[in-house]
Amino acid sequence: MENVIVTNGLTKCYKEKTAVDNLSIAIPEGKLVALLGVNGAGKTTTIRMLSCLSKPTRGTAEVYGHDVIKEPDAVKRLVGISTQDTAVAENLTVRENLEFMAGIYLEKDRIAAAVETAIDAFSLREYEKKPAKTLSGGWKRKLSIAMAIIGEPKVLFLDEPTLGLDVLARRELWREIEGLKDRMSIILTTHYMEEAEALADRIFVMINGRVAAEGTLDELEEMTGKKGLEEVFVDIAERGTR
Amino acid sequence: MTYRALNFTKRNLKEMSRDSLSYIFCVAFPIVMLVIMSIVNSSIPKESGMTIFRIDNLAGGIAVFGQTFVMLFAALNVTKDRSGSFLVRLFASPMKSGDFTAGYILPMLIVAFVQVVISFAAAKVTALVTGTELEIAGLAFAAFAVLPSALMFTSIGFIFGTLFNEKSAPGLCSIIISLGSFLGGIWFDVDRTGGAMEKICRCTPFYYATKVARAAIHLDLGKETFLFPMLIVLGTAAVMTFLACFVFGKRMRADLS
Ligand SMILES: Nc1ncnc2c1ncn2[C@@H]1O[C@H](COP(=O)(O)OP(=O)(O)OP(=O)(O)O)[C@@H](O)[C@H]1O
Ligand SMILES: [Mg+2]
Repeated sequence: MENVIVTNGLTKCYKEKTAVDNLSIAIPEGKLVALLGVNGAGKTTTIRMLSCLSKPTRGTAEVYGHDVIKEPDAVKRLVGISTQDTAVAENLTVRENLEFMAGIYLEKDRIAAAVETAIDAFSLREYEKKPAKTLSGGWKRKLSIAMAIIGEPKVLFLDEPTLGLDVLARRELWREIEGLKDRMSIILTTHYMEEAEALADRIFVMINGRVAAEGTLDELEEMTGKKGLEEVFVDIAERGTR
Repeated sequence: MTYRALNFTKRNLKEMSRDSLSYIFCVAFPIVMLVIMSIVNSSIPKESGMTIFRIDNLAGGIAVFGQTFVMLFAALNVTKDRSGSFLVRLFASPMKSGDFTAGYILPMLIVAFVQVVISFAAAKVTALVTGTELEIAGLAFAAFAVLPSALMFTSIGFIFGTLFNEKSAPGLCSIIISLGSFLGGIWFDVDRTGGAMEKICRCTPFYYATKVARAAIHLDLGKETFLFPMLIVLGTAAVMTFLACFVFGKRMRADLS
């Protein structure tokens, strides 16, 4: 099985803070991987480096064999990102936002079909003519994620996709994310353990910029001797910071 | 122009067409200024020989004054995008810095053109009402002749919007608006002032932008009155546009580091 992402000693230092510290991971193709970690653990910074939004201080990272520093153009074509804050054009309608993003990534004749697919995949039909600024936070987030997948990326980064969503909307978004899994590899960060439990094939726990543990839920349970991801996570996090 | 730049241009045009500020700048503002200044003009005694506010001179001045507000608008548009995550998402896409620069500047040129057409239409109406002579051919020619200065002001605004945040960029633009309209000789006749004041005015591109607009309306293509000033405006516009591309590219790389 091919690895979509391989990092080697990937490091990001800010002035007095090492946000990501010597990260060496491999993420297999076609999987949904959850990046867990307390606030400031370095999840967003990792995603930013992998999507060419931030230059690594040291180390290397490859997406489908393309180096993020040397071949950013190739990487950018393969990667879709939904940032921690929603990123939509406020005065454009839902449909126009999708058309705009599709226009960046796709050939002209494929735009219309891609927009329809995205609208259906995220149940946006009812809102397609509404300006983005009139959407509620949850729907804006759905739009933001739909915009991330419309360019048909091979790798999708979802940074806290269900932040601020109600229980029902979250469940629905889980189903929608689930539906993307056979089309792309997904790297998702979250603070909701049940979300990682429900969606992730593989879990990485980050502490202070390093990966403290990695594996399937079963493997992590066995490793820590705890039951359920929440207990497992607390155990790893407390051990790691002690 | 790449398809991506065109795509981004379309987005910015749509975004602006739904912003009420566009209509204030494009429609309301030039008309209000024309009316006010024409009233001022009507109260200036004929014997004073002061023609700066006479509609044939005023129209050119207002055209350039309007462009200074297009500059402010350009700066606002960029700072607005920079303050949210939307640009971050685009930085992660295959868009190049040239696509961004083109996509921000082109729609502003369209706004500037619409603005000048509306200003000149209002000027023609004012001329008819006041019984002053104002040729349509001159206005039509001037509408195109002021495009280089529109590019100059748009690029300046784009540079401010790229370098500064939404709090400081408008402030800096207002400095240029005040300085530009004053030193550009929109509100007084620089050539009749003389002395140090005239020398200072002649050192700014704004003076030449105003000169071009006024001469074009009079269909005056003289070397001193039109061609020479036009060259200076074109040169400044080219330099500013180049600088805008450079500054945005640099900023983009800094944001990505
Ligand atoms: N631009 C920056 N300048 C300085 N420090 C930064 C910058 N960006 C991030 N950091 C620091 O790097 C560390 C990791 O931040 P990061 O945003 O990656 O954490 P995170 O795991 O995404 O946290 P959260 O769960 O709160 O989103 C933090 O300590 C943060 O303060
Ligand atoms: Mg984060």
